[in-house]
Amino acid sequence: MSFYLDSIFYSYAQIFFSNRRWFGVAALLITMIDPQIGLLGLMGVIIANGLAIFLNFDKEKIQKGFYGFNPILIAAAIGFFFELTPFLFGIIIVFILLTFFISAALEHLMANVFNLPGLSLPFILSLYVFLIFISSFGTVYYKDITFLSNSTIVFLPEYINIFLKSFALILLQPSSIAGLAFLIIVLFFSRVMFINTIFAFAVNFIILHLLFQNVSESLIILTSFNAILTAFALGGSMIIISKKTIPLLFITLLFIIIFTVFFENLLDEKMLPVLVLPFNFVVLSTIYSLKFRQENTDLTLLYFNPGSPEENYYYHQNRITRFEGFKYLFPELPFWGEWKVSQGFNGKHTHKNDWKYAWDFIIEGDNKKEFENDGNVCEDYFCFDTPVIAPLDGTVVKVIDNIDDNKIGEVNIKQNWGNTIVIDHGERLFSALSHLKKKSITVSEGDKIKKSDIIAKCGNSGRSPYPHLHFQFQLTDKIGDKTYKFPFSHFVYRSNGDLGMRSFTFPEEGTYVRNIETHKVIRKAFDFKLGDEYIFNYSLNGKSGKEHWEVKVDILNNMYIENDNGSRLYIYLSDKVFYSTNYIGKRDSVLYFFYLNVISVPFGYYEKLNWYDKYPISITVKSFVRYLSEFILLFSQQISSQAELNWVELEDQKFKLVYDLENKGRGLFSFFKEKSNGELVISSEGELSSIETKNEKIKFKAELINNENEEDNEQTK
Amino acid sequence: MSKKYYERPVIIKQHSGMMNKFGSSPSLPPITEVEGIPVKELTEKYGSPLFTFSERKIRDNQRKMLRIFKTRYPKVQFAWSYKTNYLGAICSVFHQEGSWAEVVSEFEYDKAKGLGVDGQHIIFNGPDKTEEALEKAVKDKAKIHIDHFDELYSLMEITERLNLKADVAIRVNMDTGIYPKWDRFGFNYENGEAAQALKRIAMNDNLNLIGLHTHIGTYIMSAEPYRQAVIVLVELANMLSKQYDIALDYIDVGGGLPSNNTLKGQYLDAEQILPTYEQYADAITAPLFDLNLKPDELPTLILESGRALIDDAGYLLSTVIGNKRLSNGKRTIIIDAGVNYLFTSHWFNHKIAPAQHSGSFTENSAVYGPLCMNIDVLREDIVLPTMRKGDQVVILYVGAYSVTQWMQFITLRPNVVMIMEDGSVEVIRESEKLENITSSEKVPEKLNSFSLK
Repeated sequence: MSFYLDSIFYSYAQIFFSNRRWFGVAALLITMIDPQIGLLGLMGVIIANGLAIFLNFDKEKIQKGFYGFNPILIAAAIGFFFELTPFLFGIIIVFILLTFFISAALEHLMANVFNLPGLSLPFILSLYVFLIFISSFGTVYYKDITFLSNSTIVFLPEYINIFLKSFALILLQPSSIAGLAFLIIVLFFSRVMFINTIFAFAVNFIILHLLFQNVSESLIILTSFNAILTAFALGGSMIIISKKTIPLLFITLLFIIIFTVFFENLLDEKMLPVLVLPFNFVVLSTIYSLKFRQENTDLTLLYFNPGSPEENYYYHQNRITRFEGFKYLFPELPFWGEWKVSQGFNGKHTHKNDWKYAWDFIIEGDNKKEFENDGNVCEDYFCFDTPVIAPLDGTVVKVIDNIDDNKIGEVNIKQNWGNTIVIDHGERLFSALSHLKKKSITVSEGDKIKKSDIIAKCGNSGRSPYPHLHFQFQLTDKIGDKTYKFPFSHFVYRSNGDLGMRSFTFPEEGTYVRNIETHKVIRKAFDFKLGDEYIFNYSLNGKSGKEHWEVKVDILNNMYIENDNGSRLYIYLSDKVFYSTNYIGKRDSVLYFFYLNVISVPFGYYEKLNWYDKYPISITVKSFVRYLSEFILLFSQQISSQAELNWVELEDQKFKLVYDLENKGRGLFSFFKEKSNGELVISSEGELSSIETKNEKIKFKAELINNENEEDNEQTK
Repeated sequence: MSKKYYERPVIIKQHSGMMNKFGSSPSLPPITEVEGIPVKELTEKYGSPLFTFSERKIRDNQRKMLRIFKTRYPKVQFAWSYKTNYLGAICSVFHQEGSWAEVVSEFEYDKAKGLGVDGQHIIFNGPDKTEEALEKAVKDKAKIHIDHFDELYSLMEITERLNLKADVAIRVNMDTGIYPKWDRFGFNYENGEAAQALKRIAMNDNLNLIGLHTHIGTYIMSAEPYRQAVIVLVELANMLSKQYDIALDYIDVGGGLPSNNTLKGQYLDAEQILPTYEQYADAITAPLFDLNLKPDELPTLILESGRALIDDAGYLLSTVIGNKRLSNGKRTIIIDAGVNYLFTSHWFNHKIAPAQHSGSFTENSAVYGPLCMNIDVLREDIVLPTMRKGDQVVILYVGAYSVTQWMQFITLRPNVVMIMEDGSVEVIRESEKLENITSSEKVPEKLNSFSLK
């Protein structure tokens, strides 16, 4: 039953690009301001969703309202235009069914052919079919449309009434009051949408008055209502907002006017209303055209399950900052121990032009020198003769192994690259390691190698005045091919004694870098496997309870942990680092506090390692200040949420993961500051054992109560 | 103008023969300061003789060694060998550098604990672990390296009685082709005892087999024996994973790496004949990759180097008491530091350098300590410039086994200082006073008084 109710409410929310149940409930109630239209709409969705369930359509889509919103519109529209008679009532039911099938078909067609949503095209199509069909009946009467101008809020200026009426038209309500009510719930749902609404109306209103001498109220309402819907779609719901959002909206609003006039004239003969046709046309063509750009760095089309424009933005922004370089390949540094990047990208010696994305690595001693004694022979250099390892699984495709190592200070320009290995990693990625020691290469062409296999020793052959390792990614197997910008997956870097962790990025010149050395206990604690279950006892601000988790995998192979109230934590496990990619659900669950604590976790323990990560503020900041800040989100994000994390080793091989989270505003909002901190304890057996978080308002603590607990009890006895 | 240096007359035998291809063997150039502090200043302030350690040098040594191994193998852990030098300050420097503690007695175990080392970071080696010590180690979750079957049985009994699990390894000895064979420590590989011990541990629920340990000897002058030893350990590790599905946490190769001290009877200087530490590291790490494991699953390589990390960070400053000539005409120099402080001079020809500039003439001399005992010989033969009473010498490479094997004999033991990285000097062990010795003595009442006429 709740599933069925959900499907009704979400169908209403869909019309406003909202994913909130409460929003659907509110919208449904508001439609009852004109009970006839409201009830017809409700009937539309009840019948359509019932049919979808009866015919076994995709349950998730039914629940989200995909099949429900067009039938609402068609039923409401017919009620909007015509006097209701029993005959018409029967026809409406038939047309609800018709609309349902058209929307199912169109949705599939649009998705497969254009990878676009169907929007309200099914509604428009069935409405036209209805209107042309009905014109042959003398028994169906149009309503007197003048009733529109009557239902105004008298004390408001005229243009505001027009604004509210055009807003109400989205759900085919004929009154300003409905418009005002819709506007209020939109404000609660999304500040960005609210601003978009006003922006769209204002721009449209002004342009219309600039273009035409006498603008009819009906034209204003028609264009405004299309403009507002377009602003909803392109201003955050289907395209993630960015600096280019406002210009985009501005241009598309012009298109709306053009197409409205165009369709009005085109459809005039047939006596068909334009309604949402311009919106569908402009939005679909805009989104479709944006798909064919070379880069999607801004005006990014939504690529995940939609939320409010704010949530979409925060999620996307978080993903960009955290995983921009993520490539599904995890190359690591081709050596063990700590090395220094002696020449990075665009280096001043040789990493130029086509070869600018390369690295030279050396080992520096404690004395800040790279050699001991006089440094006159290769053997004095710390890196000389140390193992070079494969950065990633692959096949050896080129090997040169017979070039002499140079004397210190001399270079061999004839054989520029010296002894070199080129490895094919598949996926069109190759790596090349050069200046290796003569006769030190232990692999041959055609060998399949694994990440971290020793393949050679660092040397001084080729254009190498002193021993070092040259490393580059490239796109072919050619020795000396131009470099390709590709990141290392994870590494630890050192500066001034402090260690940091970097993911999917490029070691910089002058920094000291090494691979993450994993710790058995930590690794085991984060080794989540499909079907693993966890049970926690927790207390939150004095309230206590039990929570159960299960590790699951969705259709797209995303792993997530789901707790018993349906909250989900999406996780990603690489060889060396655990990432929480997203959290969807309640903020009073163990899983939520776990999410805060484990935003990213390297499987290695280093005493002085601190790392930072960012959260989407839609998940971590629940403050009125955030809602305020969203009024100017179209221009810039004012509030950020970041944590500093580090490992602490406790006695008995236990580890503690400590996080300090800070939510902080800037600019106008710099007064805003929230802090919380907590820790996750891992037992020496590599089990999560407790989770704790504290701030001004929250005192949370949870403990795992699996079988391990019994053992602990025994020990304390 | 300073006063001209007086040099006493020297008789030098004139050679007329082939030129010595190694040139004349000169004495070491004078070492007038240690870590930038004049020897004179140190002895004036802290007395003579004086053991001096350099914090910087210790850290350099440890970091260098760690670098050498870490760039050759992904997981490396050092454990500081307490017996080599267990002064609190010295151990703490190593612990600050990330080294665990490697102890071989209950006393050393308690010392490590006292310094704040957790049980889990202590490796408990050695043939003599008392029941009490084992019990302590089990409770602290120390890593116990079992030496013989009787110890294994004790441990089984203790863990069962306490109902606790113990993390253990066994020490394995094997023929690595060197002499002497250290087959008196641990379980022998060739006669099958090692495999048998491993089996018994694998079958025991209370013993958690987490490592294998060997220590092939001391002052090993070639890298090859290490390779042989690691090959054996890898073989055992493969056997364990195949037969008992045990994945080891670590393989402990012990220590035994030489320092630059030259052994008695060694013709060339140690510096000239010893392999580099890099060569040792290559030999030790190479066989580990035959474990055929992913780098994350490879066992940690533990090293218990002592001598190689501390020897050249220690200096013994000493003062000339007098000169004399033996019946055969050989010059001798008597200094105030004897073999009671420098046990190691029994097997090393410690380098001795003058601590002040002197004349250009040198003489083959013997260096004797101050003890009224015939054995107190620091060097039978060493070429030194002429020395006068009150002149000073610096004895080099005395960081290892000196301040642990020294004894209070005839004289009291002197101050030990550490020159810190910032150039300050800290006393890390105060010189002994008479009360230190007498306070633990007991004189029976009847012997309390006497009168001498």
